[in-house]
Amino acid sequence: MASSSYSNSPCAACKFLRRKCLPDCIFAPYFPPEEPQKFANVHKIFGASNVSKLLNEVLPHQREDAVNSLAYEAEARMKDPVYGCVGAISVLQRQVIRLQKELDATNADLIRYACNEMPPTSFGRSSRMGHGGSSSSASYDQNSALYYPPPWNNDAQERGDHGSI
Amino acid sequence: MTLKGGTSQACAACKYRRRKCSSKCPLAPYFLPDQPKLFQNAHKLFGVSNILKILKNLEPRQKEEAMRSIIYQSNIRDKFPVHGCWGIICQLHYQIRQAEEELHAVHSQLDMYKQYQQHQISSLTDDAPSQLELGMATPSNALSIFGHPTTPQPYNAVTTSPVTQQHSYSNSNNAGYSCGYLDSKDHLGNSWWVQHTYATTNNNNNNNTNPMAIQSQLVASQPLAIQQEVVQDYDEIHPFFDTIDDRQSYIDSKEAYESSSEESLKDTIQSIEQVAENELKSAAACFSLTSVN
Repeated sequence: MASSSYSNSPCAACKFLRRKCLPDCIFAPYFPPEEPQKFANVHKIFGASNVSKLLNEVLPHQREDAVNSLAYEAEARMKDPVYGCVGAISVLQRQVIRLQKELDATNADLIRYACNEMPPTSFGRSSRMGHGGSSSSASYDQNSALYYPPPWNNDAQERGDHGSI
Repeated sequence: MTLKGGTSQACAACKYRRRKCSSKCPLAPYFLPDQPKLFQNAHKLFGVSNILKILKNLEPRQKEEAMRSIIYQSNIRDKFPVHGCWGIICQLHYQIRQAEEELHAVHSQLDMYKQYQQHQISSLTDDAPSQLELGMATPSNALSIFGHPTTPQPYNAVTTSPVTQQHSYSNSNNAGYSCGYLDSKDHLGNSWWVQHTYATTNNNNNNNTNPMAIQSQLVASQPLAIQQEVVQDYDEIHPFFDTIDDRQSYIDSKEAYESSSEESLKDTIQSIEQVAENELKSAAACFSLTSVN
């Protein structure tokens, strides 16, 4: 964590905003002058005042993570103005569901082998990338606490993947 | 002021900002008056001006999608103030990595099962012809050479062609022994596996059935049966080949058979003579009968 408050050069935020970088500048520890683009992106998408309010609401030891997440989301929104980082979430969630389905199918094949049964075209099934609801997917379906469904269901799939990160 | 949609109520954005909500309000379609929290979250993270900047250069259909993503991102940031969507992405990456590792493990286990089944099939097909060679090889040849009908066939087969039988024995031995070796190796592995599974199941009070535990128990029972069968076959084969391994005993047995073959020739000659005598007698009887008349 760069701390420009101990040096004479202003932080990237104060440089961008063209103001005096005070010793208690909230941005200084997280926006070093060597990374001007980082603050520029954050300021363009969220605004300096909003970021300042957000940083004041979290604990000091959490601020670095908060700034890094904001910088990531800002960069994602710059690259993809329509979906931002939510596009990546949608893609990753579909990947998780697909992997879970494949895992369920492979486990079923394994049990059949253990019972000395030959599975019918089991390896073709595992390579199929299907989407859609499946009752066998346990950990990654809508009932999971870790599932944060994106605001669209199949519209994005019809338009194709839009992960920009 | 009327909204798009026909209601006279101001949208959540205009309500929050305490402004007149005109019919041309750009945020009205996305922030309904009965959902104030959505706008508050979006306003807290982005701000109205930044949202409008994002929507400014987009097409109408893209604007709808962009607003949905902005609202989603804002809600996530409200839920997780520190990490936001970045935290969700990290979690998803972790889940994917775990699922891929588990899938890789299951695939490797599946390959193992497949190889095991193929080996079972190949060992069964290898055992069948070798037993045929041992048990059924040229019984007629054995009888023709030695001429002893009471001699047991497998034993004759062994003594007639020791070289071939050694070859077949080596084949069967390799097949059986390798099968047994593998089975013993698998058995040792499976016994450890079974013990490990029992230990884990004993330690685990969970009632959820673990498919890997079930598989190990099922697999462990199979090679034991195969190994016993192989051992039995080996015990049956082994005493037969003690005789051919010892050359002197073979030579002695050969001499014994040769001597016994001479005796058998004498017996057959005597039997033939007896048959001829009987025929002559019967022919004579017929002759006498006819002569009476």
